[in-house]
Amino acid sequence: MTTANPVTDAQTVEAELLAFLTERIKAPVRPDEDLFKAGLVSSMFAMQLVVHLEDTYDIEIVGPELTLDHFRSVEAMTALVLRLREGTGADE
Amino acid sequence: MSEVLDELTFLDELVGDRAGDWDVAGELPAELLRKLGAMGILCAEVPSKFGGLGASSLRNGELTAHTGALCSSLRSVMTSQGIAATAVRRFGDRGQRQRYLAELTGGRLAAVGFSEPGAGSDLAAMTTRVRPDGGSVVVTGEKRWVTGARYADLLLILGRHGDDAAAVVVPADTPGVRVEPVPAPMGCRAAGHARVVLDDVRLPADAVLGGGRQPLSLLFTTALSYGRMSIAWGCAGIVRACLRAAAAHAREREQSGKPLGEHQLVAGHLADLYVAEEVVTQVCRHASALQDTGSPEQAVAAVLAKHVGATHAARAAATAVQVLASWGAGDGHVVARAYRDAKLMEVIEGSNEISRLVLARHVLDNA
Repeated sequence: MTTANPVTDAQTVEAELLAFLTERIKAPVRPDEDLFKAGLVSSMFAMQLVVHLEDTYDIEIVGPELTLDHFRSVEAMTALVLRLREGTGADE
Repeated sequence: MSEVLDELTFLDELVGDRAGDWDVAGELPAELLRKLGAMGILCAEVPSKFGGLGASSLRNGELTAHTGALCSSLRSVMTSQGIAATAVRRFGDRGQRQRYLAELTGGRLAAVGFSEPGAGSDLAAMTTRVRPDGGSVVVTGEKRWVTGARYADLLLILGRHGDDAAAVVVPADTPGVRVEPVPAPMGCRAAGHARVVLDDVRLPADAVLGGGRQPLSLLFTTALSYGRMSIAWGCAGIVRACLRAAAAHAREREQSGKPLGEHQLVAGHLADLYVAEEVVTQVCRHASALQDTGSPEQAVAAVLAKHVGATHAARAAATAVQVLASWGAGDGHVVARAYRDAKLMEVIEGSNEISRLVLARHVLDNA
């Protein structure tokens, strides 16, 4: 099931991700907050994040894209989504 | 579904009633593994664009359960091949995916090295290192209980890479690689478990999936998630085999003038086995459905399915031995094998204790 989000401007992606994280973590998250340093992301949740981004934005996050820095904050994930939506992934 | 039925029939014909002999001998026929590998059955979820069957998690699950009912050793090798393919799909770059997935669906066999002497449940404690050296990488370390390593052409080794981690594809015949079979393992005795020693193994840099430096936690979770699903479905197979064997025996054997199944205490065992078969199948289907629909909940569902599958399989196997008594206690008998194989399922790919910790964490975070 792909629920590709047709709206993929930075503001929309960031808002959606903040809502997703806030619901899961049950605490407010800042866009620039380091999720790993704050201890908010476990290994299980990191995988949930990858699957959520892939399914919501119809992208594939594989190979060299799977570095921690791309998932470190909502801002970083937003940039990753926008880049992969434009088809300019490092693997292309 | 007809494709699934074809594959199941093919497995029936290839395996037949030889699993008991393989278990006693401690070895699977290499030509059987290569044949199944070349058909893509050992890693059926690999997409067709890479030469695979492109099976859904559900279709692959039914294949895995069927294999598990026939022979848990063969299912173990299937699980290893599937984990390797999953890691390549997720962490490999485009060239690596094309190259290695073609090999894995073309008859080459793979095994995956996770555990180490000092790193079992705590995989973060692993010390195997992947060190860049000019245009090469050098892999040094020791992996234990590597399922399928005796048969493998390729070893997927997880190791430390700088401050992060990497998965490296190591051809088993590379100088510096030693594969030492585990003598007489308790369960899945023909699965080719081995200790793998990597003594300054030098490889081209492109053997490192995706260039490496990936989060250790994500590497493990991705690989283990596939492994947990595969083992959960394999456990469904063990339970089905136990149910069939116990039901057949309870119908045929008479004691005190009536079939065993008419004795209420034995009938109770049959009911328990039926409940186990239904519970494990449903929890596996649920987890596969989440995977097939891209749900973020798939990882925790895999842990749940593996935990439910392993605990029910271990209990079901003990129950089946109880029903068959001495008729099932012979070495290599399906329920005797199930008894040993199922116990192993409770300690691999996350022990029961680790599974419960993960599930408890999920409850604390979400309930």
